[in-house]
Amino acid sequence: MMLRRWIITLLAALVALVTIAPLLWMLSVSFMAPGEASGFPPPLFPANPGLDNYRTLFGSFGIGRFLANSLLVSTLATGLALLFTVPAGYAFAKLRFRGRDATFRLLVAALVVPGQIGMLPLFLELKAMGLVNSYAGALVPWLAGIFGIFLVRQYCLSIPDEMLEAARIDGASEGQILRRIVLPILTPIVVTLALFVFLSSWNDFMWPLIILADQDLYTLPVALAAMSRQHVQDNELMMAGAVVTTLPVLILFLSLQRFYLSGLLAGSVKG
Amino acid sequence: MAGLSIDGARKSFGDTEVLKGVSIDVAEGEFAVIVGPSGCGKSTLLRAVAGLEALGAGRIVIGSRDVTDLQPSDRGIAMVFQSYALYPHLTVYENMAFGLRIAKTGKAEIAEAVRRAAEILNIEALLDRKPAALSGGQRQRVAIGRAIVRQPQIFLFDEPLSNLDADLRVRMRYEFASLHRTLGTTTLYVTHDQVEAMTLADRIIVLRDGQVEQIGSPRDLYERPATLFVAQFLGTPRMNILSATATVNGRATLANGREIALPPLAGALEPGTPVSIGIRPEDIAIGAASGALPFTIAFIERLGGLATVHLQGAGGGEPIACQLRDDGSLREGDTVPAFLPADRLHLFDADGRALARRPAE
Repeated sequence: MMLRRWIITLLAALVALVTIAPLLWMLSVSFMAPGEASGFPPPLFPANPGLDNYRTLFGSFGIGRFLANSLLVSTLATGLALLFTVPAGYAFAKLRFRGRDATFRLLVAALVVPGQIGMLPLFLELKAMGLVNSYAGALVPWLAGIFGIFLVRQYCLSIPDEMLEAARIDGASEGQILRRIVLPILTPIVVTLALFVFLSSWNDFMWPLIILADQDLYTLPVALAAMSRQHVQDNELMMAGAVVTTLPVLILFLSLQRFYLSGLLAGSVKG
Repeated sequence: MAGLSIDGARKSFGDTEVLKGVSIDVAEGEFAVIVGPSGCGKSTLLRAVAGLEALGAGRIVIGSRDVTDLQPSDRGIAMVFQSYALYPHLTVYENMAFGLRIAKTGKAEIAEAVRRAAEILNIEALLDRKPAALSGGQRQRVAIGRAIVRQPQIFLFDEPLSNLDADLRVRMRYEFASLHRTLGTTTLYVTHDQVEAMTLADRIIVLRDGQVEQIGSPRDLYERPATLFVAQFLGTPRMNILSATATVNGRATLANGREIALPPLAGALEPGTPVSIGIRPEDIAIGAASGALPFTIAFIERLGGLATVHLQGAGGGEPIACQLRDDGSLREGDTVPAFLPADRLHLFDADGRALARRPAE
């Protein structure tokens, strides 16, 4: 028994190592001198670790600005997405209105259409509205994600109707019921959804690339891609850029892991 | 406090008409119990009074106010749900205070109202707990506490005991009765359990297929059921029903050919009229008497003090149940004479309506 457990633990550790190795090497390379990583065999650790790459990034390249841009866009995307998807999911689950089920079926059907297909029509639409090359345009696709609405709806279905009716009898308005009864119960799924939206909007490359023309407005992934075109040889600088891009979401993810896991589990048991 | 009056309530879900013109009056301070089999519309009626379902037609008046089109919170009602419907993220105190907080009642006043309700229900020690940390009975009390705090004109209970185990149900039943005595609030209570209805109600409303079958005191309904349905719905074991045919001289022939005397009726029965004869199990007397018929004991259920004896009429016919004090002398397979006293018989016509008796002189 003991041996079996050791073997399983060892295997798991091995898989974890394989997964995390590129990330660790990325971190290691970001501290290397220019050209050091291109040698053969590539070194695992920097000979003289230094912060030169980061100085270049934050100095001449001005990555701080893109970091701020990304933070702004992702935070707004998350906030707006929650603002629209949580009440929508709740309404689809618990409120009675004409055409509710038909609308919901239509939304779920739209889920099978890949997002890339909608990009061109969406771009033309936003162009007509004059939102191209603005954060408003960058945020539009995040406003009401169907998946988010679906997730919240499924979770809301597990809330007993009688509880909402009790609140109605207690005199709570629909808004108060949402804020004071439903939202606290939804906390795990809301945190999970927030994390999903933040991660996806943070990592999103395609849409900001299409919609943002002004370099000052670039988000990190777009800026990094632009940088890689000029600095295609500077592996060490690129790695430092990748670290700056990855680190914030990694920290966010790890710090919210507890909520995130409980959200998924609760959803699967009750849903 | 106020009375409640429901007038011609109709409600349909799609093509199914659930309430077909229900009219009920509940007097101020009365404990009225709506009872009926599942699907009879009793919960829908209660929810309509609460304002959780809109009526298709009809009016609901509480006190002197027509509340038909008012929001649930404006009707002066409080409801206790079958599932208790407590707010899981709030403590017992916060659960009970929720309605008052929404109404922006002062802090001190809320604390006083909650304290008083908690005292009545004996849950002062639980005020800081969350619902998940409470037993079923305690949750039930909190749900009632939340209703009391609102100081409603009418209490609505939707099968509040059906989630509790048998032992607790009996205890809570007693507590409901004493709570009603303490508060004196007009109460409308829905259940499918006829024992709850019989023990709690000042008046019972029997609902069947969205229509009122009979309204009356528990005693009334038990002694003088207006229909075959009510006769069989109330009472355990249920009333025995024998089909028979009227003959001459106020007598009838049972299915097995035996004759029995009928009670005096207001109107004479045409010979040959089919009737249903009902008799409560406890009204059957076993022992020799004039007019006693021979029966074979098919099966005895001994409950300790009482026994339910299932009798099979000699020469076929429907089996009947008879309840009596168990002295251990009866044996399965014995043949015994059983007497069905004419004045304890209930007569129903072919449509299941009770035949009126001749008023006693």
